[in-house]
Amino acid sequence: MNKQSIKDFNSVWERWQFLSVDRPNTDAIIHWVTGEEPYRWTFSSLIERANYYSKYLLKKGIKPGQVCAMIIRHNPEFYPLYLGIVGIGALPTVLAYPNPRLHPDKFRQGLEGMSQRSGLDYLLTEKDLEPVIGALINSPNSTIKGLHFPFEENLIFSNSELDSELFTIRASMKRKDPILLQHSSGTTGLQKPVILTHHDILEHVVQYGEALYLNNSDKFISWTPLYHDMGLIGTFHMPLAYGIPTIQINTFEWILAPVILFDAASKEKATITLQPNFAFNLLTNKVHDEDMEGVDLSSLRLLVNAAEPIRHDTMERFIDRFKNYGLNELAPTTQYGMAETTLALVQTPPGQKYKIMEVDRQKLANGVVEYTNENTKVKRICISSGILLDGCQMKIVDDNRITLPDDTLGEIAVKSVSLFDGYRNYPEKTAQVMDNEGWYHTSDYGFIHDGELYVIGRKDDIIIVAGNNMYPEDVEDVINKIDGVQKGRIIAFGEADEELGTEVISVIVETKLEDEKEKKILINEIKKAGMSIDVTISNIYLVPPRWLIKSSAGKPSRKANSERILEEKRKNKGDN
Amino acid sequence: MVTDQLKKIILDVLKLDEFEFQDNTTADQVPGWDSLSHLNVITAVEKEYSIRFKAYELLKLKDVGDLQNVINSKLSSAK
Repeated sequence: MNKQSIKDFNSVWERWQFLSVDRPNTDAIIHWVTGEEPYRWTFSSLIERANYYSKYLLKKGIKPGQVCAMIIRHNPEFYPLYLGIVGIGALPTVLAYPNPRLHPDKFRQGLEGMSQRSGLDYLLTEKDLEPVIGALINSPNSTIKGLHFPFEENLIFSNSELDSELFTIRASMKRKDPILLQHSSGTTGLQKPVILTHHDILEHVVQYGEALYLNNSDKFISWTPLYHDMGLIGTFHMPLAYGIPTIQINTFEWILAPVILFDAASKEKATITLQPNFAFNLLTNKVHDEDMEGVDLSSLRLLVNAAEPIRHDTMERFIDRFKNYGLNELAPTTQYGMAETTLALVQTPPGQKYKIMEVDRQKLANGVVEYTNENTKVKRICISSGILLDGCQMKIVDDNRITLPDDTLGEIAVKSVSLFDGYRNYPEKTAQVMDNEGWYHTSDYGFIHDGELYVIGRKDDIIIVAGNNMYPEDVEDVINKIDGVQKGRIIAFGEADEELGTEVISVIVETKLEDEKEKKILINEIKKAGMSIDVTISNIYLVPPRWLIKSSAGKPSRKANSERILEEKRKNKGDN
Repeated sequence: MVTDQLKKIILDVLKLDEFEFQDNTTADQVPGWDSLSHLNVITAVEKEYSIRFKAYELLKLKDVGDLQNVINSKLSSAK
């Protein structure tokens, strides 16, 4: 295929429509449900069904530019509905369907906060959720105008009904028009809404497609949720706009039985998947040899690790574990990017082993990158996320945003042809992260060596649990309301869990309680409070009043206190 | 009927001191029992009883009673 042609389309919709004619019978989406025959959308059937949903949405009074939040479980009708929204110039935004542990009030409040921040106009969901979110319609605290259940009603349209309206809308779509809205994680309205345009998606398909050596014989496979940028852009928009199939696996089934990914990849001969570091760990640790009977991984040419810090031992153990099942040892690869750059910024070239650097951990903590030598006491293996995609730039800056030389640790700043234009309705946040020269400041720490980017950690306090960003404030706020907790004297932070290969959420909580039985009850209450916002608090450290160190701003410092408690933990382990 | 042995495994994995398990207790009712810790519960159960779950068996588990039933059935067929 002439890749340049992807850039020539005026809109993503136009590209999809072209594909439906160019390759009508090629699989576009293979919707996977374990134990059932997969549902297959071809490019032609997908567009045909999307046209039905476009008409459905117009009938409901939804207009171009309005935001439609999709809160829907794994369902084959999800994809044409998503396309149908784009097809009327409205903006889909995919939100997580609430986990049963999430308290309905908290879910409703989170949605209300999000609607105020992002300007959500309509909710497209399942009737099961009506009792929980119905009250949001026309509420003074929400922007939501309507609630619809597109899979639970069937509208009949006469032959050419609404065709001319659709034609007019689609003909007027421009590359710089917004196409979708994405949200970072969080539960209380702290989410940052990222708007991407048709231009961003089309450009990114070309630039990231080239970096992955994408071709027409590729087939993606994914379990990552579509409310995550890796799932939505990497394994939905990318293959769909390129014109190749994706196998979409139910996230909840995968997490219960991770082998499903390999089973489906083997049966469908998938070639590419993208997933966070913890997923590689989970597959290595939890898939038994018995489950791998008859599974052949040789079709997979790329397993991309991204969306959270990549661990070298995770990758090596994964390769070692599955090389006997046909896994190409060069298939596991690394990438780094973010929703603000549409998806990827750097990628290790296919067919090459990711680079590593063994550095002095103590010097790295002071910002200096130095290879280990005979005097090194503690070493750290840093893993490269790869080289720049075409159309991207990167640099490392200090706290004053002055550019630093190679091999120096600092904040990663980036530019890209598919860089977002700013957060929706959030100019103050946009101004914080974008400078006058168009550099986006990521809040990620890293260094550049020989043109490769090594990502080390975060500048801010965001906790990345299994690829999802969590705000410590969300956790602290909910714990703050519990009796027995010293008000405002709580910090939440991410604690590395080697077994899981990701961070877990830990909290330090000041309390006056001394009785062990009362403390146990408090710990239980803290866990339950976490559950109410669908957050698992893995480690709870109760400390006496005035234990927490304050920052210069007068609030308990997350960094200083987390370091202090982990140091104590290490000492206690050593003593034992 | 959920046995004390299974209760203890779950409590240990989830770092809980006590929880009243019933046959119809579901994971979302138990503090700390999320999808990631679920796999740790399953691994601990497999180790304790020297059994192995198939992927399709894991997808069918709806509550603790189901988990207990699958354990019982595997133990009895191993005899």
